[in-house]
Amino acid sequence: MVLRLLRVLAVLAGGLAVATGCAANTTPAETSGGVFRVNMQFEPDTIDPGRSNNNLSWGVASQVFEGLFRYDKDLKLAPAVASEVPTRENGGVSEDGRTYTIRLRESHWSDGRPVRAQDFVYAIKRSLDPAFAAPYAQALYDIEGAEAYNTAPGAKTKPSQAGSPQIAALRAAVAVYAADDATLTLRLNAPRSTFVHLLAQPVAWPLREDVLTTFGDKWTAPPNYLGNGPFVLTVWEHGSRIVFEPNPYYAEGKPKLQQLVFVQIGDANQAFLAYRNGELDAVGVPDAAVKQVEADPGLKAEALRVKELFILGLQVNVTQPPLQDVRVRQAFATAIDRQALVAGVAQGVGTPAYSPVPPGMPGHEAAVGQEFTFDAAKARRLLADAGFPDPARFPKVSLTFTETSPNRLRAEFFQAQLRQNLGVQMDLEALDAKAYQQRYATGQFNLALSGWGADYPDPDNFVPELFTTGSGNNRTGYSNPAVDALARDCRSLADEKARMAACAKAQALVVADQPWIFTNYRERFWLVKPYVRGLQPTAKDAVVGSRFYRQLSIAR
Amino acid sequence: MVRFLARRLVWFAITLLGVSLITFVLMHAVPGGPWDADRPLPPAIIEALNQRYGLDLPGWQQYLKFVVGAAQGDLGVSFVLRQGQPVTEVIGQGLPATLLLAVGAALLATVVGLALGVGAALARGSALDTLTTVVVMLGASVPNFVLGVVLVLVLAVNLKLAPTFGWGQPQQVVLPLLTLAALPTAYVARIARAAALDALTEDYVRTARGKGLSERAVTLRHVLRNVLIPVVTVMGPITAYLATGSFVVESLYAIPGSGRLFIQAVLARDYGLIMGASLLFAAIVATANLVVDLLYAAIDPRLRTPG
Repeated sequence: MVLRLLRVLAVLAGGLAVATGCAANTTPAETSGGVFRVNMQFEPDTIDPGRSNNNLSWGVASQVFEGLFRYDKDLKLAPAVASEVPTRENGGVSEDGRTYTIRLRESHWSDGRPVRAQDFVYAIKRSLDPAFAAPYAQALYDIEGAEAYNTAPGAKTKPSQAGSPQIAALRAAVAVYAADDATLTLRLNAPRSTFVHLLAQPVAWPLREDVLTTFGDKWTAPPNYLGNGPFVLTVWEHGSRIVFEPNPYYAEGKPKLQQLVFVQIGDANQAFLAYRNGELDAVGVPDAAVKQVEADPGLKAEALRVKELFILGLQVNVTQPPLQDVRVRQAFATAIDRQALVAGVAQGVGTPAYSPVPPGMPGHEAAVGQEFTFDAAKARRLLADAGFPDPARFPKVSLTFTETSPNRLRAEFFQAQLRQNLGVQMDLEALDAKAYQQRYATGQFNLALSGWGADYPDPDNFVPELFTTGSGNNRTGYSNPAVDALARDCRSLADEKARMAACAKAQALVVADQPWIFTNYRERFWLVKPYVRGLQPTAKDAVVGSRFYRQLSIAR
Repeated sequence: MVRFLARRLVWFAITLLGVSLITFVLMHAVPGGPWDADRPLPPAIIEALNQRYGLDLPGWQQYLKFVVGAAQGDLGVSFVLRQGQPVTEVIGQGLPATLLLAVGAALLATVVGLALGVGAALARGSALDTLTTVVVMLGASVPNFVLGVVLVLVLAVNLKLAPTFGWGQPQQVVLPLLTLAALPTAYVARIARAAALDALTEDYVRTARGKGLSERAVTLRHVLRNVLIPVVTVMGPITAYLATGSFVVESLYAIPGSGRLFIQAVLARDYGLIMGASLLFAAIVATANLVVDLLYAAIDPRLRTPG
C-alpha cells in the first residue's frame, strides 16, 4: 500500500523533472541579442508623468516620454524636444528674465503624429489643475497664474464645480501659450535662472490631449500609453514585469535594443541570485553581498559604483530644548564618526558628508563643515558649554525612523556613537513608513533619520528648498532671516557667479547652525554583465543608466 | 439542505459586514494616511485628493457608501497603489496567478501530505515514519522566505532545474509552488498521520482485517475516509492562508498575483483597496469554510442533514 503510494509520487516527481528538464536552459529565446533585463524591485504606483513623484514612476515614464530638456552624462542641461536651451544670449529669455520663448525641433509621437507646442500647454495646465491634484505641481509655481489656479479656493473635484467659470478663467490665465505649433512661450512671476531645470521635470512633459480624453483613467495602460520618448510600453504585468520596445518614430532614431525589461523581484538578495544565474543583466548589489562581490574577481570586474546626488543625515527639531541649543547639535555632529559609518554600516559604499550639496554637481563645497569632523573630546566640551557638563544628566532624546533593515542599522549605529563618544542616551523609535511620514510632516520628532535627493543638479534645490522659513520641505522649524535672504538670491540672481556665491554663503550658514546633522552621501553599487554595451550611468538614475537606455545594445 | 444553505448564507453576509466594519474602524485608527509621503504634500493638494476620493465625508457616511456599493458589486477604487482603478479590476488582474498557485499548492499539499501521513502511520517506526516526521518539522518551522531562497539556490542556480523568477511559462510555476506548498504539506501530513494511527486502532479495522480484506482495501475503504475529515477541516484555513498569504512568494519570484496587494495596501494606507480587498478575501475564506462543511456531509454519512 505504502509502496504504491510512493510509486505514484515517484512518477509525479519524475514527470515534473522531465517537464522542467526540458527547460533546463531556463532563459527563454527572447534574451538572445538585444534584450536588457534589470530589476526595479517594486511596482510603480503610477506612470502618469503628471503624477510621477518617485524614482519608480519616473524610471518608467522617462523611457516613454521626453520633455523640453534633458540631462547629459555629466548632468548638464541639454535640449531634447526644444531646439536649444533658452538663455538671454540666444533670445530665448527676455531681458527682464520673465518671458521664455522656446522653439521646438521636429519630433514625433510613437503613432507618427508630430509633437506640438500645444501638447506642452495642455500638459502643464493639466499638472496645475486643482482637480488633478498633482503632487509636484509646485514645481511650476514660477509661471504667472499657476499658483492661483492650482490653489483655487474651494476648488472641488466634483464635475459640477470643475467646469465653473471662475476655475476656467484661472486656467486661461496661466501664462503658458503655444504661439504656433513649434513655439512655446511662458511668462514668470519673477526671474529665475534655474527655471529651465523645472521645465525638464515630468510635470512639464508633453501629453496628447486626444489620448487622455479618449481613454481617461485608462490611458496609462498599454497600448494607450502614448509617448514621444525612445521606447513604447508594450506589456505591464502588475507585480511582475514591465516590457518596453523601441519607438520607431523617436527623434534620434530607433534605439538599438530589441526589448527593455524591468522586473519586480522584491527581495534584493533574490535578484542578486537571478543575476548570478544569468536571468538579469544588471542588478543592485544588496548590502549583505558587498564583501562577497569585492572578494570575487569575476564579480568585481562587473561591478560599478555610481555616486548619487543624495544626502543622508539626521533632521533635528530645533524648536524644543535641549536640541534648540546650537551647541548641543554641534556636539552631536562632532560625536559621530562618519568614516566608521561608511566603512562599517554602509559596507564602504558612499562618502562622509558635512554639508548638504553632494559632490558631482555645482555648489558642492568640500571644505565646509570640516569643524564637525569626529572628535569625541571636542564634542564633550561643546556639550559642557551648552550646560551639560555631566552627560548622564542630559535629557533623553529619541531618533524616529522608518523601520527597514538599512535604517535600523544606521539608527543603532548613531545610538551607539552618541552613547560611547558623548555619554548621551538617544532612544530609537521605529515606525512603519506612513506613520513615520505623518510624524515627520507634523514635526513630532526630536531627531529623524532622513535624506534628500536632488530633483535637478543645482544648489537652489537644496538650501532654498530645505532650510528657508516655512518651506514645505523644512520640518525642522529652522528659521534664519539671513539664510532666507541668501536663498532668495540663490534662486533668482541673474548673474551666475553672484548667484552661486549666494548659494555658497547660504550653505555655510546652514552648516554652522546644524538644523540637520549631515552624515553621508549615497552611492549605488551595481553589477552589470560585460555584454551590455553603451551603458551610461549618471548621479541621478532611477536604475543604473536609465537615462541612456536609448544607447544600449547587447553584444552576444 | 436548502435551509442549511440559507442559514449559512445569512451568516456569510453577517460575517462580511462584521469584517468590513472592524477593518474600517481599525484602518482609520492606525496612524498615517494615504496622502502621507516622503515629501509632505501641500495642504491644498491633500484637500483636493480627499474630495476626489470622498474622504472629506464623515466616517459613518464613508462606511455606508462602501457597504451600499459593495452590495451592488462595486468595491470602490484604489487610492494609492493603482490610483483610481476599480478594486475589482486591480484584484482581478492578479487573481489568475494567485489562484493557480493556491489551488496547485492545496492539491499538492493534500496529495503529498496524505501519502506521507498515511504511509508513515502504516509503516509506523520505520524509516518512512522518521522521514515524514523530519519533513513535517522542516516544512512547519522553516519560514517560507528562507525556503524560497534555499530552493532558488539549489534548484535554480546550482541544478538549473527551474528559472529563478518570473511567470508565464510552465517551469516558472515549480519553485513558487514548492515554496508555497511546504507549510500546508507539513500540516496535512501531521494530521493525516495522527488520524490514521487513530483509525488503525479502531475496532472496525480489526474487523475488516478479520473478514479477510486486503491491506489495500482496509486502507482505502476504512482508514482513508476517516482520515479525510480532519484533513478536510484543516484545508479550510489552509486555503485561506494560500489565497491571502502568497505575499512572500509573489514578492520573491516576481509573480503578478494579488496576494501581495492586501499587505501592500495596508502599508500604503490605501483605504479604498484595503476595504475592497479585505471584503473579497473574507468572502474567499467564508466560502472555503462553507465548502469544507459541505464536504463533511459528502465524506461522513453521519453528518448528512436529514432531508
